[in-house]
Amino acid sequence: MTLFHFGNCFALAYFPYFITYKCSGLSEYNAFWRCVQAGATYLFVQLCKMLFLATFFPTWEGGAGVYDFVGEFMKSTVDMADLLGLHLVMSRNAGKGEYKIMVAAMGWATAELVMSRCLPLWVGARGIEFDWKYIQMSFDSNISLVHYIAMAAVVWMFTRYDLPKSFRLPVTVLLALCVYKAFLMELFVNIFLLGSWTVLLVKAVLTGAISLCSLFLFVTLVHSN
Amino acid sequence: MFEEASEVFDNMFKSSFPLTFIVFIPAVLILVSPLPADAAHEFTVYRMQQYDLQGQPYGTRNAILNTEARTVEAEVLSRRCVIMRLADFAFEEYQKALRQSAGAVVIILPKNMSAMPQDIVQHFMELEPEMLATETVVPVYFAMEDDELLSIYTQTLTSSSSQGSLSAAEVLLHTATANGFQMVTSGAQSKAISDWAITSLEGRLAGVGGEDLPTIVVVAHYDSFGVAPWLSYGADSNGSGVSMLLELARLFSKLYTYKRTHAGYNLLFFVSGGGKFNYQGTKRWLEDNLDHTDSSLLQDNVAFVLCLDTLGNGDTMHLHVSKPPKEGSPQFTLLKELELVSESQFPDVKFSMVHKKINLADDMLAWEHERFGIRRLPAFTLSHLASHRLAQRASIMDARSVSPSSRHGAGEPPAGPHVDVQKLSRNTKLVAEALARVIYNLTEKGAPGDLQIFTEQMVQDEQLSAVVDWLTAQPRAAQLVDKDSSVVSTLEYHMGHYLKDVKRHYVRADKRDPEFVFYDQLKQTMNAYRVKPAIFDLLLAVCISGYLGVMYLAIQNFGLLYSVARRVTQPKVKSH
Repeated sequence: MTLFHFGNCFALAYFPYFITYKCSGLSEYNAFWRCVQAGATYLFVQLCKMLFLATFFPTWEGGAGVYDFVGEFMKSTVDMADLLGLHLVMSRNAGKGEYKIMVAAMGWATAELVMSRCLPLWVGARGIEFDWKYIQMSFDSNISLVHYIAMAAVVWMFTRYDLPKSFRLPVTVLLALCVYKAFLMELFVNIFLLGSWTVLLVKAVLTGAISLCSLFLFVTLVHSN
Repeated sequence: MFEEASEVFDNMFKSSFPLTFIVFIPAVLILVSPLPADAAHEFTVYRMQQYDLQGQPYGTRNAILNTEARTVEAEVLSRRCVIMRLADFAFEEYQKALRQSAGAVVIILPKNMSAMPQDIVQHFMELEPEMLATETVVPVYFAMEDDELLSIYTQTLTSSSSQGSLSAAEVLLHTATANGFQMVTSGAQSKAISDWAITSLEGRLAGVGGEDLPTIVVVAHYDSFGVAPWLSYGADSNGSGVSMLLELARLFSKLYTYKRTHAGYNLLFFVSGGGKFNYQGTKRWLEDNLDHTDSSLLQDNVAFVLCLDTLGNGDTMHLHVSKPPKEGSPQFTLLKELELVSESQFPDVKFSMVHKKINLADDMLAWEHERFGIRRLPAFTLSHLASHRLAQRASIMDARSVSPSSRHGAGEPPAGPHVDVQKLSRNTKLVAEALARVIYNLTEKGAPGDLQIFTEQMVQDEQLSAVVDWLTAQPRAAQLVDKDSSVVSTLEYHMGHYLKDVKRHYVRADKRDPEFVFYDQLKQTMNAYRVKPAIFDLLLAVCISGYLGVMYLAIQNFGLLYSVARRVTQPKVKSH
């Protein structure tokens, strides 16, 4: 619509990141460069994923309206690479668990925000045409920040040597949920034919549940020893 | 964070020039790049006529449109694009919109025009000339209705009609929920087309039997006219006349190939262009033949000129003359023959003569024969219309639009003017019989009135119907048919099939003092963008800052959640 509208969308998408960065104390650790490095890792991992997808999953021109469950499932399996990437980032940073998680997640999510949302927002939200989808996209970026923090926490827990036996299963389940969340969302949309706002709501609820679970697990793990 | 970032940028610029280049050039390119056209709905619009005739401007003078849509119900229309539907189109509202200096008018036409009620079609047909009569400053467009466009109209209607009587809170809520539409045309401003050539075609059948034979000229103009050139299919006016002319050419070319039926009359067929613009094609043709060349069939011994105009319907036939023919002249003979044939062979046709003097003070000539009358050639026009002022002759409603069922006689006939092939065929037969009686001088030879020269099979309905179908398959407005157009070349080919010496005649308007000027940009793509008012942006900004405030508090007090989580999990730890 206007530059003002773009400003609205941008503020909505970006400010939670800024607030999180400031309030989580990352700024006191001089973590800016570490976040940038995490972002660079994000880029590298995405590149690898794309190459892999392009090589092994050539575009399947399926029949119109047919949802290819197996194909999509296989494709989201490739998102496992994100876990590896997050682990890579965290293993290269020395420090407390929270610090490692926050740096990896912030860098990762910010890189995603810059790479996949800034340009559509700039191009779309500034156009004459008004569409709610840019506001939704901004909300979505907030959700994905929470998502990546939870995911980084779960990865951190999973890679700990002193993870109790009883924790192994819930952590693995959460890990799988994180990876296949996008796939699950698509499945929901396809089965229940949700509207765009409902999808956003479902996504928020799902992400919130995953994050709460991982928070409880994290708290338990950190304070148990 | 920002200090660090600025340090990074500083180092980057100092250390390497190419890096700056890589970072900044794309950034600049993105900043200045034009906004993409990602429209909610894209549709084709047809602009109202724009032309100058004898220095007098007609129609809309503008093509550019970039304003928000409203319907006539809205209170303020100034600089808005007013959308109307044909079904509830009223001239007063149209004028009201123009008086309030609306930015543009878009009239939505139904997809199936022939299914419209009779009175609406009739009403609109009568308004067409009125809309064109004066010059309109703002662009006026016509669009074909589809589901998307209808939904845009409905949404605009609700937002236009509910304003004014609401409280401030309701208005505020309304702005957040309702959609506005920004209508934007993609084309440039309309400009005069220079050096436009109107094409006319002539062909002849030479008579036999000595020098200086009398010549009968048969004329029909092929161009159509309506409020929007791209929508003028001109089925009855004058697709019917052209198809009748071609049929007559076919019939007489057959007769003229046999020695026994080769008559002592030259037949000259002329399909004129620019007929709706004061018969420009005919005018130039006459000038070419009478003023410039030494020998021409038109210069000596013209028996009469028969113009065919709007003959595809109705049970009446009018012979329009500017001077009642004198007894003994060939004109009078044809009049008598037409009366005789219609009386004895076609009793359901009411034939009459209409006398109207040429009014030289008028801007527009009434009928095509007046062009010939001015040059002192004996001429008249045959038409089923009683007056040249009838709206059927210049309406976008005059389309073929016949469903397959009604083509075979069954089904409802369409509401507007249309061509009834049966009646066109009957009229063609009547004219052909009368012409033949004149050419072979049958009445003086004592042939009875009900003698049929052309048997049933000779006038072919399929042929007539095919020609009308082909002519009405594309709009034939004068400003759309150029000299390379398929209409002209196919007509030329068709005439060449039956006639000799088929020639083209071009009219170009004079450079310094043009008699007619046409304008382009008559068909455009219009985009309807969904937009919200500026107040909505402000509202949104307030909401977003509220949300961000809540987010800030939530993140600040994350410790609370953490401690809750800790307290919940503690007993579990102890029991471990």
